[in-house]
Amino acid sequence: MYKQSVFALSALILAACSAPEAVNVSGSSTVLPAVSLAADQFVAETGTTVVVNAGGSGSGFNQLAEGQTDIGMMSRDITDSELERFKTIDFKRIAIGRDAVVPTISSEIYEAGVKALTLAQIADIYSGRVDNWAEFGGPDRAIFAVDKEASRGTRQIFMGVVMGNPKAKTPGTDLVTGSNNEEQTALTQSDSGIGMLSFAWLNEDVKGLSIILDNGQVVEPSLENIQNGSFPFVRDLLVITRGDIKPPAQKFVDYLLGPEGQKAVEESGYIKVSE
Amino acid sequence: MSATSALKAKALLKAKPASKRRDATKAYCQGSAVLSIVIVSVILLTLLIQSLPVLMSGDNGLIGTQWNPDEGQFGIIAPLFGSVFVMIIATVIAFPIGLLTAIYISETRSSKLRRLIKSILELLAGIPSIVYGLIGVAYLNIWVADLFDLQSGRIILTAGILLGIMILPTFLTLTEDALSAVPQRYRENAKSLGMYRHEVFKDIIFPQAKVGIAGAGLLALGRALGETMAVMLVIGSLDRLPSPLFNPLSSGQTITSKLGREVGESAFGSVHFSALVFMSFILVSITIALTILSHYFLTRKPSDV
Repeated sequence: MYKQSVFALSALILAACSAPEAVNVSGSSTVLPAVSLAADQFVAETGTTVVVNAGGSGSGFNQLAEGQTDIGMMSRDITDSELERFKTIDFKRIAIGRDAVVPTISSEIYEAGVKALTLAQIADIYSGRVDNWAEFGGPDRAIFAVDKEASRGTRQIFMGVVMGNPKAKTPGTDLVTGSNNEEQTALTQSDSGIGMLSFAWLNEDVKGLSIILDNGQVVEPSLENIQNGSFPFVRDLLVITRGDIKPPAQKFVDYLLGPEGQKAVEESGYIKVSE
Repeated sequence: MSATSALKAKALLKAKPASKRRDATKAYCQGSAVLSIVIVSVILLTLLIQSLPVLMSGDNGLIGTQWNPDEGQFGIIAPLFGSVFVMIIATVIAFPIGLLTAIYISETRSSKLRRLIKSILELLAGIPSIVYGLIGVAYLNIWVADLFDLQSGRIILTAGILLGIMILPTFLTLTEDALSAVPQRYRENAKSLGMYRHEVFKDIIFPQAKVGIAGAGLLALGRALGETMAVMLVIGSLDRLPSPLFNPLSSGQTITSKLGREVGESAFGSVHFSALVFMSFILVSITIALTILSHYFLTRKPSDV
């Protein structure tokens, strides 16, 4: 009798685990808002369950490669070393939108007059050579440099452009954060912070810096400059799938590229890739 | 138990002789005990085996302060130091408050009020740690930043304070148990000898209860070491030793926050992953040592009275 009930119980648990047709999406917190908005509509229209989780680009790739998720979200390209590790798997990159990483400063500094910096100046901050806003015409206040976890897509794009190496060490860093949310909170709470955020996360408390190019031209972080690619930190928002993708997951990817999905991309503050 | 299952149980009682049933119960209990021991050993063994790659990989700066997976540097000193540092701060905050409150509750309040206060405190022990973490991010770290005029309150001190608050109920309630366990007649006898209240406590109750208090302290320390979410949110996650070394106002990293941040992005089986596992192995070893010690203290009978 005990045996029977144990069998019945395990059968019940197993049945609960394998809910059919659920699509798991996981990865970059930059791509997440657009995908999760589209997922809401997709669920309402088709009834297929879509579960969207954050965790960062690196985490999204690992989970997809290890088969723990159906779709990975990445705000940077897959690196060679990542591809090297999973040679046997056929990965597919699909761009669902465009975004820019924007060097971001606390609004207090922005209002005190620091509105644009050169890439070299930002590099000086993160490598610890400059630690006071007075050097850049701001208030006499220590610079509070916020970095992100090394595997984050936003970080790798940012450091790739500023320091010339996505994995650069940054001795000037005062705080390390994870998601865009967390970094935004840290910058909001500080009155002299600098960090990096996806374009969609800027608001009145965290201001995007303009970049002074080598020829003296000042490029603002505006939708237009991101669209025409003149802002130096433009990137594609990717979803990654494997060759053995399940049909419902493929349907969701198609949905992301369709008109409704692209509208969700736009509503999340990013730029769409197709009409 | 519902009526039908009660009936079934009765039928079962009739069907089997009493001795057989006892045997089954005994086997079930033994099986459970063995199973839990096996689970613990498997966990430890897995951690050890998964740590091997980093232990064998040579030149990886394991006992160092540089953490940089891309260049093969896996220094665990900074998180280890952070864990211990945060634990010490939490202790310094929680233990005096906990001890004094326990004395107040057990020695000066009526037993009815004592039960009420204790049950409220035990409720506190049941609050999920992420809730403490959110409070830490939303309020505590801002207060700390304002207080010390810092750029950010995501520092070792904030994590220590938060942990101190979190382990306070555990420590308090166990300490209070230890104090209340001292028989009432000791107090009465001591008083009848003309001792003052503080003398009764200092000379009679505390010597009896100190073993239990030590056990409570170690158990609370174990909780402080293993806490992840709350610490991760407020400590700043900077893989660097504070400078100067004992500066609680700088950001830091604990083993748990390190694991929480990086496990997801390290590939299973890589040296990076192995280094993280090795860190957790060290953490587990410390916690197990603390638990065994506290068990020893909590079960030992007070001898020298």
